[in-house]
Amino acid sequence: MSAILDVQNVSKRFGGLTAVKNVSFSLAPGELTGILGPNGAGKTTLFNLLTGFIPADSGSIRFEGQELRGLAPYKIVNRGVARTFQLTRPFLGMTVLQNVIVACLSPRARDAHDKEARAQQLLDQVGLGAKAGDAVETLPYGDLRRLEIARALATKPNLLLLDEPFAGLGSSEIEPLAQLIRRLHREQNLTILLIEHKLREFMALVSRVIAIDFGEIIAVAAPADIVRDPRVIEAYIGRTEAEHAPA
Amino acid sequence: MTRVSLIDLAGAIVVVAVLALTPMLLNSNYLTGVLTVCAIYAIWAASWDFMSGLTGRENFGHSLFIGAGAYTAGFLATVWFANPWYSLPAAVVIAVAFSLIVGFPTLRLRGPYFALAMLTASAIMQRLCLIFWEYSGGEEGLYGLEPLILSPLHYYWFVLAVLVAAVAILTALANSHWGLLLRAIRGDEATCQAAGINVTFYKMASLMISAAFAGLGGALYAHYQLQVSPPLFSVVVSITVIIMVYVGGIGSIYGPAMGAILLTLLTEMLRGFGEYRLWIYTLTLMLILFFLPNGLIAPLWRRLAERLR
Amino acid sequence: MLQILIYGAVSSAIYAMLAVGFTLIFGVARILNLAHGAFYALGAYSAYVFTGLLHFPLFIAAPLAVLLVAGFGVLMERFLVRPLRYSQLAVLMITLSVSLAVEQGLFITFGSEYRNVPSFVADKISIGGVDIGGQRLLALFAGVLVLSCLWLFIQRTRLGAAILAVSQDPEAAQYMGIPTNRIFSIVMAISAGTAALAGVLVSPFLTVQPGMGLLPMVKAFAIVIVGGLGSIPGSILAALLLGYSETIVAYLISSSWTELVSLVAVVTTLMIKPSGLLGRRAAF
Repeated sequence: MSAILDVQNVSKRFGGLTAVKNVSFSLAPGELTGILGPNGAGKTTLFNLLTGFIPADSGSIRFEGQELRGLAPYKIVNRGVARTFQLTRPFLGMTVLQNVIVACLSPRARDAHDKEARAQQLLDQVGLGAKAGDAVETLPYGDLRRLEIARALATKPNLLLLDEPFAGLGSSEIEPLAQLIRRLHREQNLTILLIEHKLREFMALVSRVIAIDFGEIIAVAAPADIVRDPRVIEAYIGRTEAEHAPA
Repeated sequence: MTRVSLIDLAGAIVVVAVLALTPMLLNSNYLTGVLTVCAIYAIWAASWDFMSGLTGRENFGHSLFIGAGAYTAGFLATVWFANPWYSLPAAVVIAVAFSLIVGFPTLRLRGPYFALAMLTASAIMQRLCLIFWEYSGGEEGLYGLEPLILSPLHYYWFVLAVLVAAVAILTALANSHWGLLLRAIRGDEATCQAAGINVTFYKMASLMISAAFAGLGGALYAHYQLQVSPPLFSVVVSITVIIMVYVGGIGSIYGPAMGAILLTLLTEMLRGFGEYRLWIYTLTLMLILFFLPNGLIAPLWRRLAERLR
Repeated sequence: MLQILIYGAVSSAIYAMLAVGFTLIFGVARILNLAHGAFYALGAYSAYVFTGLLHFPLFIAAPLAVLLVAGFGVLMERFLVRPLRYSQLAVLMITLSVSLAVEQGLFITFGSEYRNVPSFVADKISIGGVDIGGQRLLALFAGVLVLSCLWLFIQRTRLGAAILAVSQDPEAAQYMGIPTNRIFSIVMAISAGTAALAGVLVSPFLTVQPGMGLLPMVKAFAIVIVGGLGSIPGSILAALLLGYSETIVAYLISSSWTELVSLVAVVTTLMIKPSGLLGRRAAF
């Protein structure tokens, strides 16, 4: 089966700093893959490159056979690639439901006849159904994450990019969110690519891990193997003190 | 989506009725004239609010579209001796054309820079009118326009009808999914992009709609004053409209329209103060910015509507 | 040709003074000050009052005018702008209101006729066969002098370093013990003062009327956009470009077309390189 996402030699420099260096990888349809790397490794930059928020200096990004590089972000979304942000920025001054309706108004999602009903359905899917009428400012942090996902799902993506979905969540909130991701992956056969720098969450969730450090891919393996990869260990022991590879 | 409630509708009918009937009952041409100007300012204020109030991109050069519409009417009348009724659609087309030309490079600028760029555009336009005085009539402008309707009272009712239509259309748009998108753009453009929305298109479209009504108002004004001159492009006109919007309550469409009517009436009553009027405007703006940033009229109406529920 | 060189230099110096003040208060306090043109006008009118009406000599009138307007600017910043700093748009509106109020005030006080300010330097000087008014030369030299002093001040003194610190990161500067609010006031005083000085210097040879601040304001904005918001060298460079372009246009085509130069410059910059020639921070 051909890859749904094919990234070839993508690079990005900011002045003297190479944030992403010759990154190449591909995703098979329906895979749940993780990108692992310490802070500053270039993970979010990579996401921004894939989704058009930052222009890549070189390389090619092919999704479902079509080149994405050079397209405006909203166009990429309408091809079927959705993303969440690490720092959720909802539309203030509106209700939770309205936040999702906005995404239902994109060209890709627009054919659904009753936007409100569809938005409510999406909120139900992520577990926010009861809070649809609330002002978005009243949502706790964990719920904002779910709202992000609902908003991303509204655009009917075939590929979902999740940027550190577990960041800042308390231990009781992590597992329900992981279950939600798992459920979405299973029920909708979505291809999911997620960024995290906490290993523990990866282990149970993804089938394959791409490890990145200093903008380059240093290893690609199954979760169980990646923790034994010497380069990955070095990248972590040398960098973070908080979450590191469990034995 | 905010639905217009029956109480809102009732309130609107009452206001329109009062506005329509008063000059007839008082039988005063003077009052009719003042109210005509009030209604035109209301069109300008509502059109400003639709774009800038909803998207948060405040446009400090609204007078560009107003002047464009007015001068279109002026040119049609004095150069082509056309039927005055052609001014109205022509003004809309020209004003929208201006918005396309100016909006394209400026809409991607952040708030304050967009505001300043629009201000620059209108100031330059004013200057151009003076530079190319052979075509534009220079300081004195163009005169000799013909009224659209001979009876001042009937013209006033016509303008009032246009105002009601404008507010109705703009409110309907603002309350529709369109309005939701515009408000989302105010919230966070990056998130909008991530939601698959073509932000540039919607900003441009809302600017064009805003310009269309502003230009229409400009043409109506031209056929009321029967002349057009460069001060129509001035920053004073732009800021006056903004003050009216702030008094009325930014983002509510009807609030700015009411604010415009009230402030214009107030200006007339303060005619004795002569040159101090602009100071009063300025003071009003300062007071509003410091103490009532949400405006006066829309919040008051909302509280009244709650009580009546 | 020499004429263009000299006249262009005079224009550039004046524009540079205006633009630098404007970009300074923006770079340090993130205030887009639409009243900047009003400071310029107030400077010119102060010169009129002090020299024309009260017959003070220049070396008393000029500093007085500058101090007066600087003080006005500081008061404006302290009481009208600072409370609204949460919103750049609110700051725009309040400074615009001040600008209009000043223009109206000048109109009410002095009427709309052009006011005559006697030249400080009445003679015409001949340079290389080109006659140029001594007043214009004075404007040129004073401009260059003031800008050089300003540059040195920012680069060499402790206060200047403090100003640079605040412009990079106001919060961090505060943690280091720099009184940010006081710095804002000082920068505002400098900004208003340079604008006023520009007004004083041009008052003998440019028309002094209540609305004189609007077009310079627009040009200062154009210069700052072309040069890059917050960049002083950028403003000077752009001021030179604009000053010379206008002079050349005035000679080749007509003086009434000069305003179009700023328009074309702004539009071109915004379309091609919105962060300006030397700007670090883009306008979007």
